[in-house]
Amino acid sequence: MAQMSTVETSGGTRGPALPAWLKSGLLTIVAVLIVMGVWQVAAIAFDVPVWLVPKPSDFMARFVSDFPLLLHHAFETSKTLLMGFALGVLIAVPLAFAITSFGALERGLFPVIVFLNIMPKTVIGPILIVWFGIGPLVAVLIVFLMSFFPVLVDSMSGFRAVDPRLYYITRSMGASPAQTFFRIRLPASMDHIFAGMKIGVVKAVEGVIIAEFIASSAGLGYLIMRASGFMDMTLMFSGLIMAALVALVFNSGMSIAEVVLMPWARRSH
Amino acid sequence: MDPQKNQGTGASIVARDITKIYGTGADAFHALGPIDLDIKPGEFVSLIGPSGCGKSTTMLLVSGLEPISQGHVEIDGKPLTKPISEIGIVFQDHLLLDFRTAIQNVMLQQEIRKLDKADMRSRADALFEQLDLVGAEDKYPWQLSGGMRQRVSIARALVHDPSMLIMDEPFGALDAISRTQIRHDLEMLWLAKRKTVLFITHSIEEAVGLSDRVLVMSKSPGRIVEEISIDLPRPRPAHLGEYPEFAVYAKKIYTIFEKLGVYNF
Repeated sequence: MAQMSTVETSGGTRGPALPAWLKSGLLTIVAVLIVMGVWQVAAIAFDVPVWLVPKPSDFMARFVSDFPLLLHHAFETSKTLLMGFALGVLIAVPLAFAITSFGALERGLFPVIVFLNIMPKTVIGPILIVWFGIGPLVAVLIVFLMSFFPVLVDSMSGFRAVDPRLYYITRSMGASPAQTFFRIRLPASMDHIFAGMKIGVVKAVEGVIIAEFIASSAGLGYLIMRASGFMDMTLMFSGLIMAALVALVFNSGMSIAEVVLMPWARRSH
Repeated sequence: MDPQKNQGTGASIVARDITKIYGTGADAFHALGPIDLDIKPGEFVSLIGPSGCGKSTTMLLVSGLEPISQGHVEIDGKPLTKPISEIGIVFQDHLLLDFRTAIQNVMLQQEIRKLDKADMRSRADALFEQLDLVGAEDKYPWQLSGGMRQRVSIARALVHDPSMLIMDEPFGALDAISRTQIRHDLEMLWLAKRKTVLFITHSIEEAVGLSDRVLVMSKSPGRIVEEISIDLPRPRPAHLGEYPEFAVYAKKIYTIFEKLGVYNF
């Protein structure tokens, strides 16, 4: 036994004492720098015009010079994303609970939900534009539709996954329906709900840019679309980098929320 | 009834002609009975029988967790109409909540029943001591061994000082060594508290090792075919198999099982 644990320790502390996340972070930066460098050299060597493919130095300079503009649109995009996503979660989780609690609701609604889920959400865009006009509201609604279904479906499987015998124990304690929901059912379904929210956030980030392409007057999607009209390649590329940063912030936000809200799930694999 | 009674000793369980039929019409399944039970306050009674004979159903009926199809149950002389709360339940699976630590799982009783927190915490600590769980308080279920999880679920079932404890094959999922130890620990706990225990098991060793009385059930629909009083001194030893008195009781139960056609050799 002692020998086994020594082997483990020596394996863990070998090499420079850098935490794993820092190591992979540094590797990522090195990889990005290499790709950018090759791109830069190739663009200069083959004399590629800026309006076709801008050099990293071009769009990075643009990213810096137009940072306030990019930040403003990133903020608009984040607002749309957050509102649509929050709306999706706030409706999907209670609806999932209602559906799993009443069999009739499940039989009646589930086919509709499946149909809406497989339907490409962006086709609703033009209809929503007719109803609400071009503006952030339509983008919010499209984000809502994109993130709603994964959260709904995973929350439903979460609420179903609770062992029914647990309710024998809570009934013997004289638990009220509210106590059973908030102390047992909801927390027990949290890992499923989070799995749905993680997919939902990815879908929302995807959806928000598309929604802003077709139906908004602000946000990174709108900015990129407008830049495309002027063939402003460097602005489009810096918009793309900003969009990736927004996605990164939201995905990391989910991971942090998961660690904070579900301390029990921090298992070592 | 004086309040002292619930505090100190266990409840009595009387059941008359209880029957359970699941479903109706052509799909109806006669799961149990009719059976009678007369369990004295503080008695340790085991139900033993083949799989699917209705042992678990019996437990759900006498605790009011499932409606009775026919017959009636009285707990402490009062007719049973709704799930009784003076009860602790342990299933074969620990059924602990993954998102709560061991102590939080036990304190769920306090939270839901809205009992005094400090008082319950000291009771929980005492149980953790008796059940050899000290140090496991702040661990999540996945960090505990199978035996420890089951000990936590026993603590959860006892922390509110119920007058009866019903256990449905509580040691069924444990390895043989843990099973022997936890059986002894349960016996010591019972000797200290004298709650009424209805213990459901497949294991003759557990039934004889723990009970005042063993009720042997037939195959489905289950009926009680034999009642055996176990007259062995307590606490009972770990290796029951080495004692001839144990062998006599075990043989008795085996013989009944053979007669019932439980075994097919």
